[in-house]
Amino acid sequence: MSKRACSKANSKTKSNISPLAKVQGLTLFGSPQLLLHGEDAAAYDELLGRVCAAIKPVDIIDEMFIADVVSLEWEVLRWRRLKSSLMRALAIKSLEEFLSENLDYDQYRKFFEEDLAEILQETLEDQTKDAPQTLAHQCAENERDAVDKVNQIFANTYLSMDNIREGASARKAKELAQDYAQRKPSSINLIHKLLASVGSSIDTLMAKALAEDLDSIERIDHLTTIAETRRNAMLREIDRRRAALSEVLRRQVQEVEAEFEVIEKTPAETKSAA
Amino acid sequence: MTSERKIRANRANARASTGPKTTQGRSHAARNALRHALSLSVSFDPALAAEVEKLTRKIIGTNADAEMQELARHLAETQIDLRRVRSARHQLLSQALSDPDYESEAMHRKKAALAIRILRRFDSRTPMPDNVMEVLNSKPEGPYKFATILADKTRQLLALDRYERRALSRRKFAIRAFDTARR
Repeated sequence: MSKRACSKANSKTKSNISPLAKVQGLTLFGSPQLLLHGEDAAAYDELLGRVCAAIKPVDIIDEMFIADVVSLEWEVLRWRRLKSSLMRALAIKSLEEFLSENLDYDQYRKFFEEDLAEILQETLEDQTKDAPQTLAHQCAENERDAVDKVNQIFANTYLSMDNIREGASARKAKELAQDYAQRKPSSINLIHKLLASVGSSIDTLMAKALAEDLDSIERIDHLTTIAETRRNAMLREIDRRRAALSEVLRRQVQEVEAEFEVIEKTPAETKSAA
Repeated sequence: MTSERKIRANRANARASTGPKTTQGRSHAARNALRHALSLSVSFDPALAAEVEKLTRKIIGTNADAEMQELARHLAETQIDLRRVRSARHQLLSQALSDPDYESEAMHRKKAALAIRILRRFDSRTPMPDNVMEVLNSKPEGPYKFATILADKTRQLLALDRYERRALSRRKFAIRAFDTARR
């Protein structure tokens, strides 16, 4: 039975699983495959096959332990993956915040001009097509008349040049942070220069980001520890059962051998007696 | 001290209010304190009891003596109980993760406060600023969403973890007892 289960897992012959079981998420050993949204069922099956091949279950209780080991190992991997992606996301967010506060106006002027032109286009509906763009360009170049005109347009609305500037800076910061994550050399150089100019480094930013969300990281670490401890306990139980089983087998072999000796001795003794 | 008249009035009122009257209301009220039913034995659920029987047969077959049958049944019960706890935990996380609009209560409150502040400041006909709209429409995504869910569900997860720990312990001893008897 265990051999059959193991071969099922190894060869990933899903056809052996009934359609109903598939719908219910049931797999081998009668344990549900507890996958979360977006997790890879094939990778889970592969892990199950590998563990099964390594442990070689001898009975259904071994199979239960294997199902647990796989499920717990999957959980450990899940929490590790989450921790690593959360740390990366926090680092990028922290970098974005740093950049949006420290970028020079020249570095995001193009974005400011684009955003302003778009807003003016919506606000000044009766103007010709080029007028908002020209005004935005002049404003981005800091021409006093243009700036005054735009301020006048924005009066009595929630819009302001500062808001648009902040938005443009944030947009550029986001773009640069994404490029940094993709290891684009030009962005890396620019970011390192900016960080050095304020006496900071990417490690400092990372530490700051972690400090802000340490609770989440600790929570994930706690879940990882629980899953690891339980997985190790399962492996110890398998060892204990194997040891007990081998002890029983050893005793059985000794008994059989003893009986065999007795059977063998009897004709020999008869011969010697003769 | 409560007056005699007040006591009589309280008793009369209590007699008048005898809880839900319809079958649907009574069945709903019966489930008021029920959260996940994990403290109930698996034998209370007919579907789970059937699974226990099925697993018992898988563990020991049908020809074993009564004592082995009983030990196998106990082992099967602990295994099904463990599965039940894990499924409850999985369902808790899975439901939240598959909800595309998942948001924590705290963030809901923050967004509502922001929207009220903006509406008070400007004319109601003025459209909301883009950055405010961005905040109001934002939802936790990717690792942030998962981390938010873990933070929101900490209490339930801790409770389920206690159930799982107990279930694991019960199963361990059930397996040991079964193995010892089998030898």
